[in-house]
Amino acid sequence: MRLAKFAILLMVTVVMGQQPPGQPTGVLRLRVRVKADDTAPLRGLARKRFFLIPGTLEQNRALITAIEQQPLTTRDCYYKQHHASAQLIAWLQEGDCESVYCRSIENEFVNGPKAVPEFANAFAANHSQFGNDLIALQWLTNYLSPDLRDGFYKDRQRTLETLLKQGQLGMIQSVMTDRNGTAYFTDLGPGTYVLSNVIPTELQQTLVTWNCEVQVKPGDLATEKPYLVSNRKDRLVKCVGVEKPKPVCAAD
Amino acid sequence: MKTITTDKKIRLYLCLSVALLLPIDYTKFSHSTQKHQAACVTCHKIPTKDWTKTSSFPDITDYPSHDACVSCHRPQFFRSARPPICSVCHSKTSPRDDVRYAFRNPASKLQFAIEFPHDKHQDAIAMLRFAHPPQGYNNCTICHGPRTATFKAAPTDHGSCFNCHWKSQEPVAANCNGCHKLATTPYVLAEPARKSAKFVHDGGGEKKQHVAECTTCHINITKSASLRGLKPDVPITACTECHNKDGLRQDLSKELIAIDKNRGFTCVYCHAANVGNLDPPASHYLIAERPPLKRRDIK
Repeated sequence: MRLAKFAILLMVTVVMGQQPPGQPTGVLRLRVRVKADDTAPLRGLARKRFFLIPGTLEQNRALITAIEQQPLTTRDCYYKQHHASAQLIAWLQEGDCESVYCRSIENEFVNGPKAVPEFANAFAANHSQFGNDLIALQWLTNYLSPDLRDGFYKDRQRTLETLLKQGQLGMIQSVMTDRNGTAYFTDLGPGTYVLSNVIPTELQQTLVTWNCEVQVKPGDLATEKPYLVSNRKDRLVKCVGVEKPKPVCAAD
Repeated sequence: MKTITTDKKIRLYLCLSVALLLPIDYTKFSHSTQKHQAACVTCHKIPTKDWTKTSSFPDITDYPSHDACVSCHRPQFFRSARPPICSVCHSKTSPRDDVRYAFRNPASKLQFAIEFPHDKHQDAIAMLRFAHPPQGYNNCTICHGPRTATFKAAPTDHGSCFNCHWKSQEPVAANCNGCHKLATTPYVLAEPARKSAKFVHDGGGEKKQHVAECTTCHINITKSASLRGLKPDVPITACTECHNKDGLRQDLSKELIAIDKNRGFTCVYCHAANVGNLDPPASHYLIAERPPLKRRDIK
């Protein structure tokens, strides 16, 4: 009897496991392609976060206005304001990095002509504790000052949090583009959304902000809806960003 | 006001008496015991004094010292020649032998769940790559090394965590609770359910076309704020970009046609039999531009 009950339960579980979920959902395939300047080639915008905010542009007017009017400190300006060495700023620029975590810190950036003073000091601090070259190198970021380690990231997170509190129409999804500038928003119900990068993206000389309305229609559900985003107009581009020159840095 | 009947009182006393009379099993240690919930560093010192013996980096590599237990359990320590409490850490309970199980004991159930926000880590280390070739964009491999030709491994030690979280960057090494959350009941880590058991991460023909950025296929990872409910999340379109393309290959469509001809057909190109015998999901039929079918409806 117990075996029969178990068998029935197992069958029900297997059958239920194969049934499609009740509500069909859609997928938005985001492709972001930008030109850093007029002479540069169009390329995928890698490693940038985009947000899908429920509601229309009008319904999110307060948020959009706040996004457009936010004072922004650029990456280089932040590090200058926090007295980062020229070598550290150059190291970040070389990898288009926002923080020290974005690329591995190799020996040549601790010793020798390419050394970054902050890295050399952090290496020495760790080395004096454990006396191990490899650990000192791998654990180097633990010994940097908080402002230079993740202060820029935390600043941006605070800004994001403050801004997104104003979008109160439902759950906000966020995804990051891959190296080709592609990302997917999944499990979307039908409706209107605002696609935004919320924090302007830094290109070479400009800042780009995207705030566009996206419709997910019942016919789009269970399929992948392509959505091309750029800072240049084109026939296939659904959302063109607004570009502004980078603000002057007070630390310059 | 409710009154408790004599019958209920008797039952209550009986239950309490049984509970009080039941001997405590000192061979089992539980972090969920109220008195075991002090700050982690009360018992676990980091790094362990002799960490260099078993680890390449400073870590907790051994059980707490006797002080951690004796402070409350002195009577249990001197109860007999082979006190049961010793067997929590020691593989031989003898005053002349101090050999211990590996730390942590792989035979014991897990008492903590791991809290890991993939989204934040993507933000921070998304571009992590070496300054020189080979340029590795697969930053996930910092933590997820190869386990088999098909599947990647989940981290099993603190190695990759402490690179950034040893000190200063919270949760730091001494703040165990920042990542290790007490589970409601001890558990054995289940293997993730595999659907495409035949996929090889390093495969994809001579050109190794499967070697791509992880998030190209695992599309939901950059939005996952915790491990709860995290699924592999590889949509069929990640496969059919190459495997079901006009003029290239029709691996999916061919197997759907095979099911049309024989409803008992097992899909084998991607799947092992446990999945290959099920009804193909609607997403597969959508790719083949056909209405979904159940095997039982095929004559």
